[in-house]
Formats: sequence, structure tokens, C-alpha cells
Amino acid sequence: MATSNTSVLKAETGKGGGTFPRSLLSASSIGRYGLLALGAAATFFFFVLPIAKLLLLSVQNEQGFTLSYYTELFRQERFWKVLRHTFVIVLGSTALSMGLGVVAAWLMAYTDLKHKKLLNLLIVLVFVLPSYVLTLSWSSFMGTQGLMASFLHLFDAGAKPWSMYSVGGIIFVMGIHHFPLVYLFTLNVLKKIPRDLEWAAKTGGAGKLKTIAQVTLPLAFPGITAGGLLVFLASLDNFGIPAFLGTPVNISVLSTLIYEEIIGFGPSAFARGASLSVLLGLIAIAGTLLQWFTVRKSKATETTRMDEEPRYALGKARAWVGGTMWGALILITIVPLLSMITLSLRKSYGGKLNWNTLTLDNYRHVLFDNPTIWRAIQNSLTLSLITLAACLVIGTLFAFYRVRKPSKLNKLAELAISIPYTLPGIVFALSMILVWMEPIPGWNPGIYGTTTILLIAYVCRFLVLQIRAGVTAFMQVDASMEEAARISGAGAWTRWKAILLPLLLPGILGGGLLVFLTALTELTVSALLYSSGTQTIGVTIFGFEQAGKTLYSTALSSLIVLFIFVGAGLLQLLQKGFARKGGRN
Amino acid sequence: MTIQLREVCKTFGSYTALRNVNLDIADGEFVAILGPSGCGKTTLLRMLAGFEQPTSGEIRMDGEVVAGASSLIPPEKRRIGMVFQHFALWPHMNIHEHVRFPIRTHKKTPKAIRDNEAARIEQVLALVGLSHLAKRMPHELSGGQKQRVAIARAIAAEPSLLLMDEPLSSLDALLRMNMRREIQSVHRETGSAVVYVTHDQGEALSMADRIVVMKEGRIEQIGSPQDIYLKPETEFVAQFVSKANLVRGHWDNDMFIPEGSGSSVQWRGSEVAGYFKSNGLYPVRPDQLELGPVQDGGLVGQVANVQFQGKEFNYDIIAAGQQWEVISPVPYKLNDKVSVTIPQRELQYA
Repeated sequence: MATSNTSVLKAETGKGGGTFPRSLLSASSIGRYGLLALGAAATFFFFVLPIAKLLLLSVQNEQGFTLSYYTELFRQERFWKVLRHTFVIVLGSTALSMGLGVVAAWLMAYTDLKHKKLLNLLIVLVFVLPSYVLTLSWSSFMGTQGLMASFLHLFDAGAKPWSMYSVGGIIFVMGIHHFPLVYLFTLNVLKKIPRDLEWAAKTGGAGKLKTIAQVTLPLAFPGITAGGLLVFLASLDNFGIPAFLGTPVNISVLSTLIYEEIIGFGPSAFARGASLSVLLGLIAIAGTLLQWFTVRKSKATETTRMDEEPRYALGKARAWVGGTMWGALILITIVPLLSMITLSLRKSYGGKLNWNTLTLDNYRHVLFDNPTIWRAIQNSLTLSLITLAACLVIGTLFAFYRVRKPSKLNKLAELAISIPYTLPGIVFALSMILVWMEPIPGWNPGIYGTTTILLIAYVCRFLVLQIRAGVTAFMQVDASMEEAARISGAGAWTRWKAILLPLLLPGILGGGLLVFLTALTELTVSALLYSSGTQTIGVTIFGFEQAGKTLYSTALSSLIVLFIFVGAGLLQLLQKGFARKGGRN
Repeated sequence: MTIQLREVCKTFGSYTALRNVNLDIADGEFVAILGPSGCGKTTLLRMLAGFEQPTSGEIRMDGEVVAGASSLIPPEKRRIGMVFQHFALWPHMNIHEHVRFPIRTHKKTPKAIRDNEAARIEQVLALVGLSHLAKRMPHELSGGQKQRVAIARAIAAEPSLLLMDEPLSSLDALLRMNMRREIQSVHRETGSAVVYVTHDQGEALSMADRIVVMKEGRIEQIGSPQDIYLKPETEFVAQFVSKANLVRGHWDNDMFIPEGSGSSVQWRGSEVAGYFKSNGLYPVRPDQLELGPVQDGGLVGQVANVQFQGKEFNYDIIAAGQQWEVISPVPYKLNDKVSVTIPQRELQYA
């Protein structure tokens, strides 16, 4: 058998013309270097240059380099007030998120609670909802017309719910919006702490509480800190919550202050906005560095497997712990959402609520009567679809090279690509304006004020989300999967089609859905970059809210909620379909 | 397929994985590459597959250069089968699809196989004993079954070279012994050349026609299993493959006088390699030494440790200021005095 084979093989390899000629190889390597240079140039142009321009503008006036914008800033009473508010809000909401997140994570990771999958979904939902939708839900829930007011009136006709339009309100909404971040981070870390470490502590004579305090918590500490820092960054970045709840009562934080500066125009508005942005950016970068540092420290437990089995039986307490958790989660998401949806069904803001006053008028107005809103919905859909497509292709390919051919260069590129997402959205948006007004001295491409600049901004900002999803997906597919295909004779095309894509698709699509939904509901970047005709859904809701048209803003927000539920449902179905076709190895 | 490696070197940055490797593999031969982790054996295998390119030197298959410093035929254009260390099964394909994949995908699949795809798949699955599981998914299989699928996939398109990268290392001990038999029968049935990488000298000795022992990127010794086991040429081979004790002493032509024995004890060693003779060493395997009562003469030693192994005992013996491992069926207790001898029937083999 073997001898006949080899002779056939000889003939065939002879025909195929064995090795690559030397010249061809060097030609392809020139092509490779060309591509590399192109990639490096694009990365610099799209991700690094904007920040450089921003920095430059904040230290330059007609006379040359100056720090006058900063010194002027530091002299203003208002700046210090905003800074104080920013810190109180950011630290307060971070503390709230960490408290909620750690408790939820511990319960979900270690106890024998029932229906964990559903609970998990409910927790994640709080974060998946755009922050302004959550804000609107809570402001309708706690408003004078809301469910909370009706509830309080049962006891005291004159009672008024606590106003969400306050520093406390902002801290609260921000805290519940971001607690899933701490939860997810901590859950991972807790599940990876080997169970035998706790057993060892117990055989050493430590009780339940002592074990938690001296073994579990210290081991989980880096993970919890990293999650906390992530929340700190997210709170700094957040624009929607303070803009909806703070601006009407004159409470500003750095992100809304920058927005007000730029929108207010006036002389040197951009320069003042830029110097504020640099300050905000610096705080964010410091936070990011700290976060990296703690994540790196927690890497020690990275290799251990996740342990999904419960470690503590709640016993009799299971019923009420579970009940409390369900109640709390329903209270912070579902009830306010319902409150917002009922509000959107009312004829007028002050009217009584009964079956006769329910109406779909607000939806009709939002969807059909007003061409600008319809235009905004179209804009957002088009933008997010193109962003999705661009991120899917670029992000997946980049993730492939990042995982399979790691090098200093692509590590650096990843760092650059993550800049727009790391920086607060408002800072990034301003840098986009600065760079695209005149990307190269003497050349104005004229895209400022068009949908193109929004598209570029979306892709730049959200690309890293797709890359991270892709990297995670690729890490789970061992290189030997591809090598086995190559040995079986599969060229690059067949490898992607038959092996890589089927294995990667669930992970990549999950990332894609996140990119799509984030882009669809984006507010911060769009708020600075839109102009008439290029409004997005987020900007439109923001506009309604500023104009006091609460019924319309809640109607549009309710549509978004519907959209998110449909999207999440589709993803679930898709992943179930894949799971049936073949579980992971 | 005949394979020649000429002066093959491979460096990764400042790390040298292979140094001047020269090796010829004959058609249908079963070659085991044996060495500890980091010795370059996997790099060598991946180079034969086409996943790595030599930094210098060249590799020929059937006389044709397939890899050199400036040229490389990629794996998908070579007709090779490979069994990976951790199986590398595709989680989204069932067993039947795994075996079908190379038949359909490989451009060089012989026409006879391509035209009778179903029959070939059935034939290959029967060979590895998996016919009844054709519709199963990988996660529904045991470790041994997964490895059989990996072997079936590797031989499906009738490659003339089969590469195996520590294929048994993720299986448990008993299964490993059974799979050795399976691999031998696959080799007999297909008649293709096999290059088998392992760090387990038992696997190499039991299956291979020829063993290549590697250390730190260099070939230490090439030879038949008996040659390697009975006539090691370097300290490393003696210790790694034969688990030999290196007894210090001096040579008088073919006679060896162990250190500290006066000159009353002499061991014959006409077959011992020149390296040991010039360095005053005698490689003695634990099973070569014989223990007896002190009055038997020979070197007198003391039992420093005993491990009962079932059919025999493993002893640590201290004699003449050195410590040796000895395997003996005779029971002794800790601190017993024993005589250590080498019976002269040694060093006979076919």
C-alpha cells in the first residue's frame, strides 16, 4: 500500500512544483511589511492622533504654548464645585456598586440559590440597558406621577417620593447601573478560588466567618478592586445620568461641564473644553493604570478552573434570601421600567391613570408623525449596522493576529485601539471634532457635522469591544484545531469556513450584539458630534427630556427596551442552536 | 515516504531549539523521537509537518526539498497525517465528519479513496474499532475513544507519513498500554512511515523500529531499541533510557575496576561505549546488578532504602562510597549488608 502511495505522491508533488521560489517569497514579505505599515499608520491616525490634538489644543493659543487655560480654570469657583460634585458622585456610586456587586456575587457563586441563570440575566440587564433609559425609568418611578408616589399616597396623601434630581439620585442610579460590573468581575474570581483552600482553613480550625474573612476575601480582593476601578471609570465616563438628573437642577460633573462648554460655544470654548478633557482624561488614565495593575496581580488564580458547584447551603434561609434578591432586582429594574412604560402610554403627563386614558398616541407621534424622529431612528440603525459590520471584520481579524501571532507591535496597536473606549466618551468626542476639522494641516475633508464623523467615532470607540470578544473566543479555540485542519489539507479559506467560524461564532456574535446595541443607544459621543439631520436615538431622547416632553422620551425609551429584549432573545436562541449542534470540548 | 534532514537548525529569537540535526527516515519505518521536555523533539516534529521553518539546513521528502531557510511547503500541501497531544478534535463535528474532512479537503487524496468515500470512512473507523460510534460528538467520547478518532482522521486520506505528538500522554496508565498495541497495528495496516514523539522511554522501546534520543536540541544517539537500551553511548542516554547507574572506577582494557574495591573486583565490559571507557565510568542498569549474601564475594554494600514493587524490590545500595539503584527479587531489610555482583551472562541480545 505504502509503496504505491509514495509513487503517486512523487508524481503529484513533482507536478505541483515543490518549493516557493525565493523571489516570490521576498515579494510577499514586502507586501506584508506594506500592510504592517498601513495598519500602523491607520492605528496612529484613528486612535492616537485625536488625543495628541486634544492635548495640543489645551496648551496652545495664538501666541504659542501656554498653560493659561488651566490657570484660568483653577481660578474659577465653578470648576472646583464641579470637581467636588464629580468626586462625590463617582466615589459614592462606586461604593454602592461595590457593596451590591460583592454581595450578589458571593450569593451567586457560593450558595445554593435557585434559578441562578434567571437571576444572572436580571442582574446583567441592569447594565445592558442604556444609562439614560434606566434614569428615565427611575425618574418616572419616583416622579410625582409615578408608582412610588401612588404607593406612598396609600399612607399619607401629602407624601412625596425622594427627588431623583439630586446628587443622591445620581449616585443611586449610577450605583445600580454599574453594580453588574463588580458582580461579574467578583463572580469570576470567587468561582476560581479553589474550594480546598477553604477546607484547609476549616481543618485548621477557622469557622465559617473567619474562613470568609481570612481566606476568601483576601484572595478575591484583587478581583474586587479591579471591578471597583472599572466602575470608577464607568462613572467618570457616564454622561447620560448626570445630564438627565443633574443639569435641570444645576448639578454638573466634569463630563456634563465639558458638554456645556462646547455647546455654549463662545470664544475659546474648544480650548477650555480641551483642557477640561485633558484633566478628566488624566483621572481616567490613572484609574485604568491602577486597574491593570490589580488585574495583573490577580492573574495568579487565572489558570484554575471555574468551580460552579455551590459551597454553602443556605438551608432554611434559602427561601427568604432568594426572595429578597428577586424582590430587590425586580424593584431596581422591572418596576421602574414598567413605570416608564405606563407613563409612555398616558395621554398627558398630569392625567389620571386608568384604562380609558391609556393611549398609543405617543408611540404614533414618535414613529410616524415626526419625520425628524423617524430620521433619527434610521440614522441610529444605519450607523449601528455599519459599525457592527466594520467591527466584526476588523475586530475578528485583529483578534486572530493578536492571539495567534502575538507581538509587541500588535500589543501596542491593541493599546492604541483601546484609547477611545478607555477615555470618557465626551473627551473622545471632542478629540474627534478637533482631528476631523483638519486632520492634516490644510485639508478639511468636510465630514464634521455629517453622519460619517459619527460612524468613524462609533467604529473607533467600540472596535475594542469586538476585539475583546474575539480574543476571548480565539483563546478558547486551541491552535491545534487549525493545525489539525491544515494537516488535513485545508487552506486558509476552508479553515475559516469549516473550523474557525463555526467555533468562534457564538462568542463573536455576542460581542457583535454588544457593539450593535451600544452603538444603537449611544448618547455621549453623538451628543457632541450630531448636527441637524444626523440626530441619533439617544440624542433625540435627550432633546425631548431637555424640552420637557417626557411622554415622548419615555415612549422612545420603551421602544429601545423592547429592541434590547428582542436582541437578547435572538442571541439566546442562536447560542442554544449552537450548543445543540455540538458542545464545547 | 523517505525523509532526509540535513544540518537542520531552528532558533526562536535567542533560544536555539534544534542544532544541526541530521536524520534519515526510510519508507514505512517507525521512528520514535525520545527526550525530556524542551529537548526540541516537538519542534522537530512540527518541522516535519510544515508548521515550523528551519532557520538553516533543509528537509527533503522523497528527494524533494520541502523546507529550507528560504522555502517552505505548507502543511496543507504535504501528504501527512498527524495525531496531536490533546487530540485536537473539532467540537462541532461528529466522528464521521472528522474522518471525512481530510478525504474531502485534501487535494492529494488518492482518487480511489475520494470515489469510495463512504467505504473508506467505514474501513478506517473499523480499523480503530469505532464503527458503532460514527454519529457521536467528541464531547460524548472517552479519552481513549477520542484518541482513536484522532488516529482515524490522521490516516483517512492515506498519508505516507504519520506524525504523532505524544499521543498517549493525556491517557491514563492502563489505556496507554492498550493504545500502544493499537498504534502498532495501525502502523502494520497502513504501512506508512511513522514519526512518534515521546518522553516515555517505554513507549519508544516497545513500538519503534528506531529511536532517536534528543537532548537540548541535539541528537544524542540513533539506533534500534536494543542498541539504545543495552549499548548507550552517552551519559544522558544511559540515564534517561536505561536508567543506568554510572559507576566510577578505572578501565584496564575491557576490564573495569570499581572505585574503592581494591582490585579484587573486576567487571567485564567489552561492549561498553568508548565514551565511558575514556571517562572511567561503567553504566550499569539496576537489573544488571545482582545482590547476594556477603560471603559471595564481590563488592560489599548496604541497603539504604527498599521499595516493594510486587514481582521485585527496588533497592538503593551504598557501596564503595557510591549509591546505586538495584532491582532484585531477593528480599533484604534496611541496613542489611549485601554483596553486589554483575553476572557474566549480561550483554547478550539478538
